[in-house]
Amino acid sequence: MAILEAAHLAKRFGPVTAVHDLSLTVGEGEVAGLLGPNGAGKSTTLHMLLGLITPDAGTITMFGMELARHRIEVLSRVNFAASYVDLPGPLLVQEVLDAFARLYAVRRPAARVAEMIELLELGPLRRRRVMDLSSGQRTRVQLAKALVNAPQLLVLDEPTANLDPDAGDRIRGLLSRVARESGSAMLITSHNMREVERMCDRIHFMAEGRVVAAGSAEELAGRYGAEDLEEVFLKVARG
Amino acid sequence: MTTLTLPPLSLAARRSRVLGVVRRDFAALRRSPIRMFEILFWPTVELLLWGFVTVFLQSQKVPFVVAFLIGAVLLWQVLQKASNEISIAFLEDIWSRNLLNVQVSPLSSVEYLVGLVLFSLGKVAFAVAVMAGLAYALYGFGVTSLGVGLVPFMGVLLMLGWSLGLVGIAAVLRFGENAQVIAWSLVFVVQPLAGIFYPVSVLPEPLQAVSWFLPASHVFEGMRTVMAGGAVPWDRLAWAAGLNVAYLAATLGLFAWALSYARRHGKLSRFGD
Ligand SMILES: Nc1ncnc2c1ncn2[C@@H]1O[C@H](COP(=O)(O)OP(=O)(O)OP(=O)(O)O)[C@@H](O)[C@H]1O
Ligand SMILES: [Mg+2]
Repeated sequence: MAILEAAHLAKRFGPVTAVHDLSLTVGEGEVAGLLGPNGAGKSTTLHMLLGLITPDAGTITMFGMELARHRIEVLSRVNFAASYVDLPGPLLVQEVLDAFARLYAVRRPAARVAEMIELLELGPLRRRRVMDLSSGQRTRVQLAKALVNAPQLLVLDEPTANLDPDAGDRIRGLLSRVARESGSAMLITSHNMREVERMCDRIHFMAEGRVVAAGSAEELAGRYGAEDLEEVFLKVARG
Repeated sequence: MTTLTLPPLSLAARRSRVLGVVRRDFAALRRSPIRMFEILFWPTVELLLWGFVTVFLQSQKVPFVVAFLIGAVLLWQVLQKASNEISIAFLEDIWSRNLLNVQVSPLSSVEYLVGLVLFSLGKVAFAVAVMAGLAYALYGFGVTSLGVGLVPFMGVLLMLGWSLGLVGIAAVLRFGENAQVIAWSLVFVVQPLAGIFYPVSVLPEPLQAVSWFLPASHVFEGMRTVMAGGAVPWDRLAWAAGLNVAYLAATLGLFAWALSYARRHGKLSRFGD
């Protein structure tokens, strides 16, 4: 069953058409990737799905509810992390997680925060200020925040963009594990083709605001007569 | 649905989200000593400044009630703080690039604003308490000389401050970060018109008419009446409260419109760039 159905989304910013007639579904527990060149409209799409940007046209339905009409119910079951957002710098890691646990109306914030600290191996950083952490450490805190409400849909915009290969690999392993164990669906953008190949069940290729191809990594490679996803990307991006 | 979280529309969930905002702001304050310092800095400076002015005026034998100025400084701080603290709390989410995290959470705008207001109340109360102590210690001015009017006076000013703060936030949402100067300065537009340090009667006629529509004017006029031995002018306070309700409704509408504008134009993710 689809937990996310976006139909015919469109968004223009002045003269720029960022997204054009885009439809997308994500099934329960599915890890979906959104790929495409810079400026293809990936972030704009994610932001529309999160209610940050109001679409010019189209509908967004999640968990059987229309986002525009059931914002609070829908957003309670979703979460988000991105390379370009940050958490309040002066706060201790533990305080940040506590605040977000409450923003998501978690029943037992303290216990849940402790679980997240354990899951993301944040124990030694618990009482450090966010602003003093390295970007890899911050990414882990962001993911702890993004998992605090056990979201049924986790939206990640280039989650590993700031990470070294080792840290990136750990995060990928962790996310795959979360997807497997908690059945949380994910919608991920990334410019790291190996990451997408490894993590995503289904890939949506975007170019100039549209989805131009969709399928699993193998299907896409087969369809484009390509060795791997990287080659698919180049073929799609260059027309 | 899991049992991990409360039903999103329940009162308990709403309370949790509001508390989340308050606790976060409180933690942020606790972790930044500079901001603690700032809460006390301006009120103290203004109190000293106007305190010395009154001392000077007295030495010049200007017939004048000292308490007017000290009382005015105290109440003025209530208005200024109420307004600025609300906008600062919002701007901080922009500065720390946390705005998107807040905006994708199930926190509603009203819950967010209630959280900001509650927290700002705490800060205002703290600043006022310290100032009242200082005013008493330095100039023998007791806030109790404002009598039973004190509570409604402060209430009217707080509410007006929230409206001004909302206008500041709306301006930032509409025009971008550079509009934060509006968030700081709007309250100073009120200052000359509200008859804070002098009676409204010194203003030219047209400005007197304007000041009639400023809830703050009625508070400061009322304060002087009470200090001069008169009764609390409840009728004027009721008028001021009515204006406040209208302004707050209007500025809430403005905020909602500005937020929807920002969402329509993709501005929320563009702050801080
Ligand atoms: N808030 C905005 N205001 C104006 N134009 C915007 C805005 N957001 C996006 N755009 C434009 O819309 C297009 C799509 O941008 P978007 O950020 O969605 O791309 P993307 O696929 O996420 O790219 P990247 O891989 O570089 O992150 C771009 O041309 C961009 O300039
Ligand atoms: Mg992007």
